Amino acid sequence: MHYEWDFGAVWEYRQMLLSGVIGTMKIAAVAILVGVVIGALLATMRLSGKRWLSWPALWFTEFYRNTPPLVHFFWAFYALPLVLGVSLDPYAAAVIALSTQSGAFYAEVFRGGVISIERGQWEGARALGMQGPAVLRRVILPQAAQRMLPPFMERSFELIKTTSLASTLAYSDLLYQAMQVNSITFRPLEVYTVIAGIFFITLLVLSLLAHGVEFRLTRAMHTSAG
Amino acid sequence: MTFVWDFSAVLQNYQVLLKGVAMTAFLWAIAFPASMLIGFVIALGTGSRNKLLSAPGRVYVEVFRNTPVMIQLIWFFYAFPILTGHQLTPLVAALAGLILNASAYCSEIFRGGMKSVPTGQWEGARALGMSHSQALRRIIVPQVFSRMLPAFTNRGIELAKNTSIASVIAVQELMYQGRALSSAFYRPLEILTAVAVIYFVVIYPGSYAASRLEKRFALRA
Repeated sequence: MHYEWDFGAVWEYRQMLLSGVIGTMKIAAVAILVGVVIGALLATMRLSGKRWLSWPALWFTEFYRNTPPLVHFFWAFYALPLVLGVSLDPYAAAVIALSTQSGAFYAEVFRGGVISIERGQWEGARALGMQGPAVLRRVILPQAAQRMLPPFMERSFELIKTTSLASTLAYSDLLYQAMQVNSITFRPLEVYTVIAGIFFITLLVLSLLAHGVEFRLTRAMHTSAG
Repeated sequence: MTFVWDFSAVLQNYQVLLKGVAMTAFLWAIAFPASMLIGFVIALGTGSRNKLLSAPGRVYVEVFRNTPVMIQLIWFFYAFPILTGHQLTPLVAALAGLILNASAYCSEIFRGGMKSVPTGQWEGARALGMSHSQALRRIIVPQVFSRMLPAFTNRGIELAKNTSIASVIAVQELMYQGRALSSAFYRPLEILTAVAVIYFVVIYPGSYAASRLEKRFALRA
């Protein structure tokens, strides 16, 4: 079968798609920020060495890591309002779902980075007279940050892709806007190919940038170490 | 506000949820082996020195890894039929999307695994008079298999979670059944919580096994 591609119809509704891109960027950015806070909190709880702190954090993390993101979206939108007694709009529900699930993954990234630093580093810093938080801030975290960066970036790219699930809550992200354009133009092939292309190019550029940063960081660490 | 929990809607309709679990399991059981197989073939391409083989493989991997699974499923259901003139059933579209996505990730696991074998192993096999495919089959694959096991288990878990997206194109798996029940009985809190718990119970053992395997291989290395 021969098909006549026609991107003109999509171009005509570029404003709608653009507002979708902005919608996607908005929830991605907010969810990364909130997710980092949740992740740092969970990682601190797990590393605290106190059972009553580490256990809830462990099971929270495990639960979010072992259930589908889509369930989190529906749960945040339809079930959570019943628990809280307030209704949530699609934006709030999407941000809650995205930031809690990415928080669970970030927690593992942060925890993994900290425990990957050899015990000698802690002992050395203590021997120099540093106290607990100072050791973490001045000795451990600077070293761990470099190791956390690649998995952190990878997780954030996953989050950006997961934002497309917010369309199921009728939040006007890129996919939702594409569905609207499609229902006007009846051009699913062009519309969905275009938004796949937008995601592809964005993520490819971001991952190239991330690799560049990683490369420079590693080189900087090696030169400073002599 | 005091909310009164009422799980009767869940308990009365457990068979509907069970049917959903069966469909979820079916999607996974077809898609996972198929993804491994296709992933292996693609890894032979991306891992080869021949640019004509490796370039298309790289494009395939990057396209499927850098676009959302949700868009891939929707694309196969709504856009692909226009290109071919053939309407796919929701099930076939879901399987196509899931398999193509997971196979891109699987091929990277294979490629990484094969690259991790020291070249001395290849040279040794060659010195013993083995051909490329013999060396691959008898020397390389057995060594990398155990190293790739945790990564594949993780991929299996990701795939299990991704099957829920098939509900968006009306494949009647667990997520779909859960949503249908919750809108029929107006009990979203109980039903969606039950769905989440079912997913957790099904997926967590795999995840636990993966972390155990990772620890075991980390100790050996």
